[in-house]
Amino acid sequence: MILSSYATVTAAATATTSYPIDIWGVVVALVLVAAATAISGLLHLGLVKSMVISTARSLLQLLAMGLIIRFVIQQNNWMLVVALLVIMLFAAVQITLARAHGIPKGLALPVFLTLTVVMLLMVCLVTELMLRPQPWYAPQLVIPVTGMMLGNAVSAIALALSRYFEDMHERADDIEMLLALGATPYEAARPSILSSVRLGLIPTISTLASSGIVLIPGMMAGQVIAGADPLNAAEYQFVVLASLSALTLVGDIVIMMAVYKRSFTDRDQAV
Amino acid sequence: MNIVTIPSSEHTSFALKGSPVLSVRNATCSTDSTTVFSNLDLDLYSGEIVDLTGASGAGKSSLLTIIAQLNPRGNATLSLHDTDSTRFSYQQWRRRVAYVPQKPTLLGDTVASAIRLPWTLKAYEESEREKNAPFALSPATEATAPDDSSLRASLDAIGCADVELDRHPRDLSGGQAARVCLLRTILTRPAVLLADEVDAGLDDDNALKVSAMMTSAAEEGMAILRIRHRASDGHESRTVVLKDGVLK
Repeated sequence: MILSSYATVTAAATATTSYPIDIWGVVVALVLVAAATAISGLLHLGLVKSMVISTARSLLQLLAMGLIIRFVIQQNNWMLVVALLVIMLFAAVQITLARAHGIPKGLALPVFLTLTVVMLLMVCLVTELMLRPQPWYAPQLVIPVTGMMLGNAVSAIALALSRYFEDMHERADDIEMLLALGATPYEAARPSILSSVRLGLIPTISTLASSGIVLIPGMMAGQVIAGADPLNAAEYQFVVLASLSALTLVGDIVIMMAVYKRSFTDRDQAV
Repeated sequence: MNIVTIPSSEHTSFALKGSPVLSVRNATCSTDSTTVFSNLDLDLYSGEIVDLTGASGAGKSSLLTIIAQLNPRGNATLSLHDTDSTRFSYQQWRRRVAYVPQKPTLLGDTVASAIRLPWTLKAYEESEREKNAPFALSPATEATAPDDSSLRASLDAIGCADVELDRHPRDLSGGQAARVCLLRTILTRPAVLLADEVDAGLDDDNALKVSAMMTSAAEEGMAILRIRHRASDGHESRTVVLKDGVLK
């Protein structure tokens, strides 16, 4: 069933049971946001500016992404698909670095390498081994699936990075004591590494556990709205969620192994 | 008072040679803009307790952490029993030239596990390999963690008879925590002990107990360099003063 679901998704695009949004739908959504913004302004929540900017950003970014994906799907050219994936990768690096707080400079390369590993794994294993699109680069499948996974990995890695450097700072006395007793940098950093990987994974695990009970994940919701068989959509969603969790863990571990030595000098001293 | 039982031959063989256990040459420390000290020399001999004094900010702690190779802002030419520090890994060096920070830090759920922490480290698994090393890394350190009965005896000997092995380290008093931290390092039997004002903030009674622990360790051959702000307690072999970037 999972194997046939790809065909179902593509078929759904032309199915008569789909419910496309017209311009009035967008307008109503904007009115809703405006009302919420007005309320937050009255309550002096200090959210007006960020709500307006975020809403405008998300509308523009999503429309732009929609136009780009539509263009790439129309062209149906593998080089365009790969080029878009590479652009997404660079954007993901930039977003990760912007989101992580209190991290040292010069982490762009390890973040880039980590996200590259995660992305290669997701394209090779998840897309090509599990979903097997025809042709292999089918843009309407490869790009959204990669985008979802990359988005999740970015959140997890940014969270883990922030946590690691904050935790190492808080554990300064422990680190000094451990190094003085002859601990290696890894031994001294290990508790912070573990808690960072754990923290990075918590949102993913809670999504995994709660999905289907109260939460219908976005991908499944989208497929059902677009007219796909809900059971197929559920299977599809599970494959993506499960792989996404595994890859997030891989990404968290890889980034920690790549950066933990930043807290030490090349003489194994605490920075 | 007998904290650790050490076969006497191991340490006396070094003590009798007349050469220093630890030799420090050209110790230099600088912060971003200023030089705290430069070209300091110091020798430590087996069994002696050297007090390091000087105004705060003179760089006493920096000197100790440079000797333990823990200070990224300083450097020195170091040798242990005439073996250059570059022949040791940083971990091997710190096991033998052990720095005890001023602030007592005990990790673990019980006092016993906090004291045994060093033996969970990789550096302590390498005892066998080091014995076969082509150069002398002696004195040999204990390959195995102290068992409950020897821990009990050690705690009794340092005036912590009322501290249960399964007590949580956070339930120790300041004086007890300082002594347990010092005991943890002494039990690893380093050749050199660098104690960074471990009796700071303790009452006179507790400070004397800490001094007695170090005296006992020194009697067994350990070379000890300790920073003190208190008046002399008579346990030291000699005193050096770090002032204006010079050791006197």
